[in-house]
Amino acid sequence: MLFVPVLQAEWLKIRTLRSLLGALLALFAATTAFSAIAGVSETSDPEFDPLFMALSGVMPGQIAAISFGAMAVSSEFHGGGLRLSLAAVPQRGRWFTAKLTAIVVPALLVGLVTAFAALAVARAGLGDAASGLSVGEQARGVVGCGVYIMLMALFAAGLAALLRSGVGALSLLIPFILVVSFVVGDVPGGVTDFMPDRAGQIVLYETYDGRLGPWSGLAVTALWTAAAITAAAWSVRRRDA
Amino acid sequence: MTSIEVQALTKEFGTRRAVDELTFTVLPGRVTGFLGPNGAGKSTTLRLVLGLDRPTSGTATVGGRAYPTLQEPLRHVGALLDAQAAHGSRTGRDHLRTLAASNRIPGRRVDELLEETGLAPAARRRVKTYSLGMRQRLGIAAALLGDPEVVMLDEPSNGLDPEGIIWIRELLRRLAGEGRTVLVSSHLMNETASFADHLVVLGRGRLLADTPMREFIHARVQPSVRVRTTDPTALKAVLAEHGHDAAEHEDGHWSVRHARVDDIGRLASAAGVPLLELAAEEATLEQAYLDLTATETEFTAQPQEA
Repeated sequence: MLFVPVLQAEWLKIRTLRSLLGALLALFAATTAFSAIAGVSETSDPEFDPLFMALSGVMPGQIAAISFGAMAVSSEFHGGGLRLSLAAVPQRGRWFTAKLTAIVVPALLVGLVTAFAALAVARAGLGDAASGLSVGEQARGVVGCGVYIMLMALFAAGLAALLRSGVGALSLLIPFILVVSFVVGDVPGGVTDFMPDRAGQIVLYETYDGRLGPWSGLAVTALWTAAAITAAAWSVRRRDA
Repeated sequence: MTSIEVQALTKEFGTRRAVDELTFTVLPGRVTGFLGPNGAGKSTTLRLVLGLDRPTSGTATVGGRAYPTLQEPLRHVGALLDAQAAHGSRTGRDHLRTLAASNRIPGRRVDELLEETGLAPAARRRVKTYSLGMRQRLGIAAALLGDPEVVMLDEPSNGLDPEGIIWIRELLRRLAGEGRTVLVSSHLMNETASFADHLVVLGRGRLLADTPMREFIHARVQPSVRVRTTDPTALKAVLAEHGHDAAEHEDGHWSVRHARVDDIGRLASAAGVPLLELAAEEATLEQAYLDLTATETEFTAQPQEA
């Protein structure tokens, strides 16, 4: 079977579910709103990092990205929907690749636009406090933030496919991001730097003291995502639908 | 010509054998009824044919090829497995469009089928607002999208109203008349009797019968003749004289087993016995099926090996 029609079908599936479009909109709205709030908040903290402050809206915003990835996959597991999809496209690897592509592309595009908008509104609020940021640092922050959003959406998609449940993936990831990473991960430089979300967030800082740099941090997140996707692909190919 | 061929197909879920060394062929140009009690393995067999479940051993092919090797399979095989499979938040039309897109089926085919299945007025409503009957029609529309030579429907009359049941019956007859291969599972005997030409019957995952429907019924249930007369004594004498075995019922009618209306009518007429009623009592599929499964229970009522 040709890949393009399969991809078109998967993209159509995403476009025709309002909840998925809503999640992408929420990603943009929540991230820019929280970044705007961060932009007008107190900046006298000695550990103040203007780039992270400007992009910090992605911390709550990523939950929408995770929901998007998880729901885009879990919409296939409603009442035997997967059987219908795999009867139409029995080459499961091809089907799963198309599904992930249809998640990755909008997640990356919306992620980039969101990061750019978040930085712009936060800078308006931060004023002089952010004037020290170079163009290169800002570009790295925006691109890195977009890639981070995409990887988190893909990570959630992989978990949802592996668990065959969007609720399962969300109830694993959201507490992890909200609680575990917050509580355990407040010490920079430790093992927590290698957690899937913390590693990728290093790219959001102007300067970061730790073993990982901005791109190697994203690479660690990408490895986590690749592991989830590989396990999911194995499950999709092997298990009875 | 495209037939469904199942060869020594076996599927185990853990230690339970859902399908056990099943071999049969579904031929084109007729409607094959797929019968068996709940849990007999009908749905599992359909999933195995579609390559959704992997067989423990054996093969299932459509037109000589394994389903997953088909290019754009919806153009060859259409299946309805579960009417609940459509996502509730999509409109009926969008649901069909997503399926059509993957197999490069033109969009106008979607609208044609919405029209044909009577869903056109509800096409832009979300599936969660559909009744069970409408979901069933949507599932049938999905099965017919690619104008397939092979159609497999699992319990298609579930939830349909009387008009819907007549519609599906005519649809199945038409599809078979066009030379397509039609396999329809059901546990409604009267319903199946109204459209099937051929039967494949399963019990506990094994093949119990693979015969034309008429033959299946006649081999298991003897037809009889129902007679009513004003002169029972004379009737009884005439029948006894010709070796017919007649039994009187409480409401005054007689049934003559192993007999045909033509014979009984002539005999009564020749003997001058006045008849008020003379009719063939048709053996039903239900009787035949129950007879088969009853004998099967005897054979299979041994303790199961763990």
